[in-house]
Amino acid sequence: MADPIIQMKDIQKHFGSVIALAGVSVDVFPGECHCLLGDNGAGKSTFIKTMSGVHKPTSGEIIFEGQPLDFADPRDAMAAGIATVHQHLSMIPLMSVSRNFFMGNEPMKKIAGISFFDHDYANRVTMEEMRKMGINLRGPDQAVGTLSGGERQTVAIARAVHFGAKVLILDEPTSALGVRQTANVLATIDTVRKQGIAVVFITHNVRHAMAVGDRFTVLNRGQTLGTAVRGEITPEELQDMMAGGQEMVKLEGSLGGTV
Amino acid sequence: MTSLMKNLALATAVAAASFTVAQTAAAEGEKYILVSHAPDSDTWWNTIKNGIALAGEQVGAEVEYRNPPTGDIADMARIIEQATASGPDGIITTLADFDVLKGPISAAVDQGIDVIIMNTGTPEQAREIGALMYVGQPEYDAGYAAGLRAKDEGVTNFLCVNHAIQQPTVGERCRGYADGLGIDLGDSMMDSGTDPSEIKNKVLAYLSANPDVDGILTLGPVSADPTIAALQENGMAGDIHFGTFDLGEEIVKGIKDGTINWGIDQQPFLQAYMPVVILANWDRYGVLPGNNINSGPGFVTKDALAKVEEFAGEFR
Amino acid sequence: MADTTDERIKEISPLRRALIRPELGGMVGTVAVFTLFALFAFDSGMFNSQGVMNWSIVSAQFMIIAVGACLLMIAGEFDLSVGSMIGFAGMMIAVFGVVLAWPMWIAILITFVICCALGALNGWIVVRTGLPSFIVTLAFLFILRGFTIYIPQTIERKTIIGGIRDAAEGDWLAPIFGGKIGQPIFQWLGDMGVIGVFERGTRAGEPVVDGIPMLIVWAIALIIFGHILLTRTRFGNWIFAAGGDAEAARNSGVPVNKVKVLMFMFTAFCATVFAVCQVMEFGSAGADRGLLKEFEAIIAVVIGGALLTGGYGSVIGAALGALIFGVVQQGLFFAGVESSLFRVFLGVILLFAVILNTYIRRIITGER
Repeated sequence: MADPIIQMKDIQKHFGSVIALAGVSVDVFPGECHCLLGDNGAGKSTFIKTMSGVHKPTSGEIIFEGQPLDFADPRDAMAAGIATVHQHLSMIPLMSVSRNFFMGNEPMKKIAGISFFDHDYANRVTMEEMRKMGINLRGPDQAVGTLSGGERQTVAIARAVHFGAKVLILDEPTSALGVRQTANVLATIDTVRKQGIAVVFITHNVRHAMAVGDRFTVLNRGQTLGTAVRGEITPEELQDMMAGGQEMVKLEGSLGGTV
Repeated sequence: MTSLMKNLALATAVAAASFTVAQTAAAEGEKYILVSHAPDSDTWWNTIKNGIALAGEQVGAEVEYRNPPTGDIADMARIIEQATASGPDGIITTLADFDVLKGPISAAVDQGIDVIIMNTGTPEQAREIGALMYVGQPEYDAGYAAGLRAKDEGVTNFLCVNHAIQQPTVGERCRGYADGLGIDLGDSMMDSGTDPSEIKNKVLAYLSANPDVDGILTLGPVSADPTIAALQENGMAGDIHFGTFDLGEEIVKGIKDGTINWGIDQQPFLQAYMPVVILANWDRYGVLPGNNINSGPGFVTKDALAKVEEFAGEFR
Repeated sequence: MADTTDERIKEISPLRRALIRPELGGMVGTVAVFTLFALFAFDSGMFNSQGVMNWSIVSAQFMIIAVGACLLMIAGEFDLSVGSMIGFAGMMIAVFGVVLAWPMWIAILITFVICCALGALNGWIVVRTGLPSFIVTLAFLFILRGFTIYIPQTIERKTIIGGIRDAAEGDWLAPIFGGKIGQPIFQWLGDMGVIGVFERGTRAGEPVVDGIPMLIVWAIALIIFGHILLTRTRFGNWIFAAGGDAEAARNSGVPVNKVKVLMFMFTAFCATVFAVCQVMEFGSAGADRGLLKEFEAIIAVVIGGALLTGGYGSVIGAALGALIFGVVQQGLFFAGVESSLFRVFLGVILLFAVILNTYIRRIITGER
């Protein structure tokens, strides 16, 4: 396998007296779907916020493409190619798909020296990208509010990919979706992975993780319980680990000594 | 969608109904429009409405009353322009702000519409603007007369409760009063606002902070009514000298029970009634009084209150 | 997958499609209002040259403040201090230009700077504290009105300062706000007998409408500027995004705070344009100018199809809302309807507009 695109080394994050992350190490490789599993309060959110530059780690190192990184704010992380698709809060329902798609990255064209929003380009690209992801829009001016939850996630993912994401962090993209929509999102993740993008898929649903994941890392009480490779672990084992790690001793063998 | 259409239909019906009413209400005869500067909240102008309505009925002319809802003089200018565009036989209006209103009023005069200035303004301004005449009570003079009278009655230190601080002409009453008393206006003029309980509390606060005040002047029912309540609350009613401009039900009661020494009546009824009658006679027979008409000031004391009481708020 | 269509998405009818345009309500309303007045007040003088100019000016006034209020509302905020800002700006010009006797163009420019700075302060407090703009600007409504009364009271001992027109005589900047354009055309129309002329006085023979006031020119210019800014620029996309969902916009790298502060400044700018045009036309600044104008602006914007919750609306719609507002207000006078009924009409129109807006939002967001 190639070098990891991003390495999180022994990350600790303390909020006052609360230790949210107590030394977590995770490697993510290009073209893999790395599932980050954990129950509520396990530290998943803190971890991805550290990865995407929202939080600064209290100690530990982030190495991105071989270089140590120190993000000042999320904009830096985004510019470097680390994109986050949040569970909510990434699409604006009242705005059209194409306006949403280019939000913050509007294409410009100059008319008489003044920069204008290039709607033609935006509409064309949006329709194209949506078709690639298997979503048929009535038109680029269709409001995001009329899309289903799964389609919205897909638009957000397509947007991140279009703007050059190398690492795509998906924060519980399937948690509020129905069966069919979940399947669509999982298919999208598969498409993206095949383009060589590293996907970090946060979920607490083992079945969703098993469907697309290449490797699985379980977080519990701010610590990793290890990273397992696909095929070396059963859904039941993952489930048990998330539930508390009491079964760790029993599982150690199947984790392949990566703890 | 259907409920939407229903709403639309309903709104249209309501609108259409009011228009129809307005149309049928229009009578034959000359059309005169009175434009005031008073906001909707100023009840004093009800007498004016009644005055023009009565005069219109008696002479057989069509009369209309219009005002800027918030009392914004710039809006009033637009109303005068609008009245001009609708082509009436005459416009009766106040000169609440000469700078703002002289343009629209002169334009009306220049288009051949007869204009009479009532209530606010001065006879000189009315002449300058090309109005036929002025009907009203010169503010400063009325205040001055009130000040002279109050001085005779022993006032040495006063509070002037001004509920219309944005209208400079009303403030002239306070200035005249101070000059009549022969003392400096200083900080004696209070910007009271128009809310009754605010006015009451401001007056209470002022009186307790300034115990040497022995006279109060209020500029109309808006400030007088809460001031009466304030004096009744702190027990100074009947003790402190209290004069007021204009009349109203509460003021009449106050004069009767001795809380108020006198009210200055500018007789608003005349300011509304006379212009309509004068305009009608001017249009019909070409006759016009040779002078401005001073509708006031008249001091209303406890004597001869019967008529005032009977028609307070209606014609007085 | 790529070539199949989702069978559950019904083709939407052109009617529904038209309905989600924010301008639609405004257009329907405009047609309805004009039809109504053409039927009931046609011969009342409402549609002669003076009448048209009358309601055009009133509508243009509403338009100027509605453009600012519209963009701010789409960006998700309110400004309740617009009316007080109008009074304050007018008073500043009077203080600088008349009391201090500075050249009028300096007075105007400084007033613009002060008012835009106050708008920025409004916006800064809102984005810094996260308080609802409703409360912050309500505070400024009182603060600015208070100063507007206090300042002239203190230095001039009166609440109206006149003489602005005389002070602006010969100034190069003042006519851009208080002047008129197109006089020769109107003189010609007057001579042709198309529009009425003065019968007597010093202006005898001149047309009763002698030009298009700069107020109307400003209104049109601001509408065009606002419309292009909103629909055709990157910044316009940010305005929609900031009001639609500030958090989502931030996640996408939109500088939401900057957008909001700039929109507060633009609203203050529009209020100042209104004020300067007014004082240049009337020649005096009064402490009571602009009372309740903030609500009139918001009402015009809502009639024009913008959502009170932000993220959706149109400058053209707001302009039509202002036109409806102005035409109804003045038209009721022409039609001879008792003036106190104006509020009833206003209420009915407002309610109707809000119901329509709610319905539109349901279509857009697909709520059922």
